[in-house]
Amino acid sequence: MLSDRELERYDRQLRIFGEGGQEKLKNARVAVIGVGGLGSPVAYYLTAAGVGKILLVDEQTPELSNLNRQILHWEEDLSKNPKPLSAKWKLEKLNPDIKIETFVGHLDEGNIGDALQDVDVIVDCLDNFETRFLLDDFAHKRSIPLVHGAVEGLFGQVTTIIPGKTLRLREIFPRAPGKKENFPILGATAGVIGSIQAAEVVKLITGFGEPLANKLLIVDLEHNSFDVVELE
Amino acid sequence: MKIRVRYFARFRSVAGVSEEEYEVPEGIKVKDLIDLIQKKHPKFKEEIFEQNEDADVNVSRNGKYVDFGEELEDGDIVALFPPVSGG
Repeated sequence: MLSDRELERYDRQLRIFGEGGQEKLKNARVAVIGVGGLGSPVAYYLTAAGVGKILLVDEQTPELSNLNRQILHWEEDLSKNPKPLSAKWKLEKLNPDIKIETFVGHLDEGNIGDALQDVDVIVDCLDNFETRFLLDDFAHKRSIPLVHGAVEGLFGQVTTIIPGKTLRLREIFPRAPGKKENFPILGATAGVIGSIQAAEVVKLITGFGEPLANKLLIVDLEHNSFDVVELE
Repeated sequence: MKIRVRYFARFRSVAGVSEEEYEVPEGIKVKDLIDLIQKKHPKFKEEIFEQNEDADVNVSRNGKYVDFGEELEDGDIVALFPPVSGG
């Protein structure tokens, strides 16, 4: 049951997917892997949408050059709070009715099982394919949907992996690009792609709409195009 | 036969156009088309495949994701897009 306060807080989205959808969000646990350019808008919108439990995973501490895009980190967090903790206090102020959990550390084969136990959806907000493939393997092992997003410059891509139904991330990007330490990126690009990822999560949990399953959305803000490629 | 090639994101800047037509022999495969594109736009040699391990290209044919061995037909629209990796 939703409280009167929740009915008011989520009034504008209850008009989309109803109280049943909102209760599904409230009962969901979503892992946001990487709390940077993509993870910031993803965590912010999922918090605002009332996802009951959000697990933030990152090992880094915010740096000044992060602040053009990583909107959950502020000047006062620099070189102080690891990104999950930097994000947590703001998200709790935004929505005290939900629970923000944190994992400060690097995911690897040894710890991913414990770190991501009992999550309903995984959101890939990482900056490298090595760890993405670790998520891909884990998602398939546990049959958990994985929302992939990536950005560079004014370009980005989103697709939703549903184990057993869609191609794996490894199959979509067999020759994955290497990690770039200081890749160019406009904050607004991460905002667009992260927002689409957040919408994917809400669609997956509520059952409303059509996720980008076996579809790769390619966004080019430089030349103003949104294209969807069928993956199967 | 004629193939229309569309370039996405960074590739659009490399090619200098968003799309263009190629006159190609019958039975040509995606990888052969890539060779033709690299001949026409030498800059792609630095961007794609073996020449640079960090580079990559994904290809769709008429809106569907395909691999390099896919055979093309007259009138196909082939799109090339570089996957990005940042977060």
